[in-house]
Amino acid sequence: MMAIRRNLLISISIIALLLAACGAPQSQTPTAAPAPTSAPTSAPAPTTAPSGAVVSATPGLNIDMILLPKFLGIAVFDQAHEGAKEAHAELRNQGKLIFTGPTAENSVAGQIETLTNAATQGVKAVMLSNNAGDQIAAAAQAAQAAGVTVVTWDSPIPSAQGETVFVAQVDFNETGRVMADMALSILGPEGGEFAILSASPDAANQNAWIAAMKEVLKEPKYANLKLVDIVYGNDQSEESYKQALALVDKHPNLKLIMAPTTVGIAAAAKAMTDEGLCDRVKVSGLGLPAEMASYTLSGCAPQFALWSFKDLGYLTYHLTYLIASGALKGVEGERFTAGRMGTYTIEKDPTRPKGLRVLMGPFTVYTAENVNK
Amino acid sequence: MGANLRRLVSWEGFLLGILVLVIIVNTSRAPAYLSLTNQINLFQLSIEKIIVALVMTFVIINGEIDLSVASVMGLAACMIAVLFESGVPLPLAILAALIAGVCCGAFNGLWVAYVGLPSLAVTLAGMIGYRGVARILIEDRSIGGFPAWFTALGQQPLLGPFPLSLILFAVLFALAIIILQFSGIGRIIYVIGNNAAVARYSGIDTPRLKLGVFVASGLIAAMAGVLLAARLGAVRGNTAEGFELDIITMVLLGGVSIFGGVGNLVGVGLAILVILNLRNGMSLLNVTGNVQTGVIGVLLILSVLLPNLVQMARERLQRRTTQRKEVQVETETSASS
Amino acid sequence: MSNRTVRIKVKTMTAWRQRIRPEQLRELSLVVLIAAALLIFGWQIENFLSARTFNRIATSVAIVGMVAIGQTLVVLTRNIDLSVGSIVGFTAYFVGSQLAANNAMGAPVAVALAVAVGGLMGLINGLIVAYGRVPAIITTLGTLAIYRMLLINYANARTVTVDSLPSWVVDFSRQTLLSIGDFAVRPLMVVTLATVVVFQFVLGYTVFGRRLYAIGSNPEAARFAGLPAQRLVLIAFTLCGMLAGLAGFLFLARFGTITAVAGQGIELESVAAVVVGGVNTFGGSGTALGALLGAFLIDLLGQGLLRWLGISEFWRDALLGLLILLAVASDAVILGWLRQLWQRGAEVNHGR
Repeated sequence: MMAIRRNLLISISIIALLLAACGAPQSQTPTAAPAPTSAPTSAPAPTTAPSGAVVSATPGLNIDMILLPKFLGIAVFDQAHEGAKEAHAELRNQGKLIFTGPTAENSVAGQIETLTNAATQGVKAVMLSNNAGDQIAAAAQAAQAAGVTVVTWDSPIPSAQGETVFVAQVDFNETGRVMADMALSILGPEGGEFAILSASPDAANQNAWIAAMKEVLKEPKYANLKLVDIVYGNDQSEESYKQALALVDKHPNLKLIMAPTTVGIAAAAKAMTDEGLCDRVKVSGLGLPAEMASYTLSGCAPQFALWSFKDLGYLTYHLTYLIASGALKGVEGERFTAGRMGTYTIEKDPTRPKGLRVLMGPFTVYTAENVNK
Repeated sequence: MGANLRRLVSWEGFLLGILVLVIIVNTSRAPAYLSLTNQINLFQLSIEKIIVALVMTFVIINGEIDLSVASVMGLAACMIAVLFESGVPLPLAILAALIAGVCCGAFNGLWVAYVGLPSLAVTLAGMIGYRGVARILIEDRSIGGFPAWFTALGQQPLLGPFPLSLILFAVLFALAIIILQFSGIGRIIYVIGNNAAVARYSGIDTPRLKLGVFVASGLIAAMAGVLLAARLGAVRGNTAEGFELDIITMVLLGGVSIFGGVGNLVGVGLAILVILNLRNGMSLLNVTGNVQTGVIGVLLILSVLLPNLVQMARERLQRRTTQRKEVQVETETSASS
Repeated sequence: MSNRTVRIKVKTMTAWRQRIRPEQLRELSLVVLIAAALLIFGWQIENFLSARTFNRIATSVAIVGMVAIGQTLVVLTRNIDLSVGSIVGFTAYFVGSQLAANNAMGAPVAVALAVAVGGLMGLINGLIVAYGRVPAIITTLGTLAIYRMLLINYANARTVTVDSLPSWVVDFSRQTLLSIGDFAVRPLMVVTLATVVVFQFVLGYTVFGRRLYAIGSNPEAARFAGLPAQRLVLIAFTLCGMLAGLAGFLFLARFGTITAVAGQGIELESVAAVVVGGVNTFGGSGTALGALLGAFLIDLLGQGLLRWLGISEFWRDALLGLLILLAVASDAVILGWLRQLWQRGAEVNHGR
């Protein structure tokens, strides 16, 4: 039953993607000016590729690539690595796939260091889940100037300077809507007060999602949902746990905690369960099924959403391989196949004025019925 | 004194040995290591930390510690960003950031030198508090888009292949050596670090000097924060977070005693070279961040442990030989009588 | 320093001991500060003075408090242990993954495992510091990184999840042993309180405790008096590691979801607790109870600020830093004042 519904969801979104893919190049062909960001190829970008031509990869090339997560020791990044490894084997890349990352407390400086040294090492491409915001832009631009392809995934460079394309796990505006929808479905039409427990105040993707959610909340449909507070647990269990409890103390009428981070949602659910508050305050947001299953079944976190990080790693690898090998230029309107995942298009990123993205999608919304699948 | 000197020399010899080893391994394993760009990158990637390490050497030799430097760096960076965003001309914003650094340093110094609170406690509070002020200023924003001349100063070479910050480091290093190792002030800093009571009795204005050292620490940290903002081209609330441990590691590896009074800038300079080259080499060989930090942790411990073990073994040997001699003398005297 | 002066010192110390000890005054000043903070928050924040607030702080202090007791032992000997955060994280993850792999493992075994692993790490610290003569800050700055590296390599990006743990672990932090009105007595809190009581006794009334103070307040004199300083430091570090290991188990029980970054930053929190708790960073004075009160005060300030509606999230750190400074400063001022009073009293006594 559920499987059918999910498949339907996937096929609908694929159709939507295809439609978008067909639409985009036609409407955008006039703007052929190369992006002002220093793209690796200084040649005028020939965007005259016939619309509909789908590029696919030539296997067996020799391209050294680095997969650079925010930091090591987090399950989702390892899942992305699994996906990248799958693609690496599939494309029979003669080069190396290097999975390396900084420590959590040295994330910003460490990412900049890896990116800077990538050029020195002669690595061809870096796949970056950016944790440094725009602070990494200069290093990324320098790497590009030295001939390194920089593709971001999971979290982009906000100004888009220094990155060729961003592989978006989901549409960032869509994330806001999905969170609002989950809140509405948990709280019901009468609504109520809810609060957001985010990662750090500097996390670019979380901030974008929260902004998108605030936009969505302005619609009359969500008029009864009242966002009363935003707090930050810094993606640490203990801090998130404390913040979740403080939210309950601070807002006596709070009915829901929305945590758009896997660490935050698990900590909040544990805190509510421990304090016996689940009847009063529900938890939702973005979470890993393995970490959330018991809370979903107990009704503490009736709904949460996530995407497949493995697929994200797989798709990112394919795209990066294509750009680094020169098969794709990394400009708007280009289409390509990413192995088992099908065809994708490089398009304008609606959430960043200068950015390009490839949209993976869709969300999987987990409930008691599908969480243990 | 002679023993102390020998100990210092052996420490630096030890660091030099490690440095040579690291350079040899790096050269043989990572072909790109010796290239000029890499050699400059290697400094440039940690330039702000090593600048602050210089002034931290003064603080620790003086018998204190400053845990707040990274937060002062972050505060300075946030200040220029926020002021610049609100329309203040950048040079003025930089000046304000430096003044803020001086204020932070003076605040720390006053509590430590004139109230007599332990610097560990005061600067721990400063570490949390100054970061907090930075957060109040910048909240959850990321501010960039500085004028090109500013980011160019942080990123582009200024003189030959050398960027401004590297030149600045060289100048500061020379200046620091002159002050700490060859001037009267330097000598007083050592005396205070060795024995604050002695310093007080010999008529040294200990509080004023301590205050001065903390003000210098704040000022240099703020300057490093400005340089960091220029190099990164964007600032956030967590800019420079966690740098304090790296900075203190460099100073301690350089043979500076955490109890004050012992150590010198040559050692710290060598320690900086060892850490930067080691990190760079490991990074070029794709060693992950936590293993890098772990290796430096091992090195930090071994650098003190090994000389100590050697010395202990030597002492034991000496004791045994003198004992044997005593026994010999005894038997000789008993034989002669 | 001759033996005689040491003896005189010891004699005057015992004379002092008969009256109120300075540590008790220090604890008293902390209690005054806590009361002041409670009054201010209670006046400013609606419903702050409730059983719930107490329960919150008590449970959340349990872990940091436990680490702070160990930290106190080390700081008393003029040393510091910065590796405790990594020890907490490593033991939490290690015991968690063992429990996940073997759900039948009983509570005593799991706790013993946590204490043993923590103790081993503390023993390593202690050996390097006491017998290798490496300053504690260098040693533990090193092992901070090394233990974390071991954890990340051992964990290999897997996460210990609540579902994989036996239910008794997860329920451990939820249970209420005893409730007085709304005040709930939780196991976490009881374990930490019991530990404080034990160490308060050990430090105050045993030979071992007095020796710790002695080697911290005057290492030279202690050596002349023939105290086994090296062994004492080794024991202090080992105990600190064991307590950190126990805290690791509490951490596992409380949070359930353990990643490779677990426990990061506890070292600074525990140092802050110790410093605010009036343990002298130059060794020789301070108590386990003081450290726990310090942890309590910091957490109280944190909770109060979290819930103070007028205060935005971004003001929290700045105020917390300021409050910690004020706590330390006023503690020093109050203590200086009390010490003067008390010295005057002692002089009067001597004059008699």
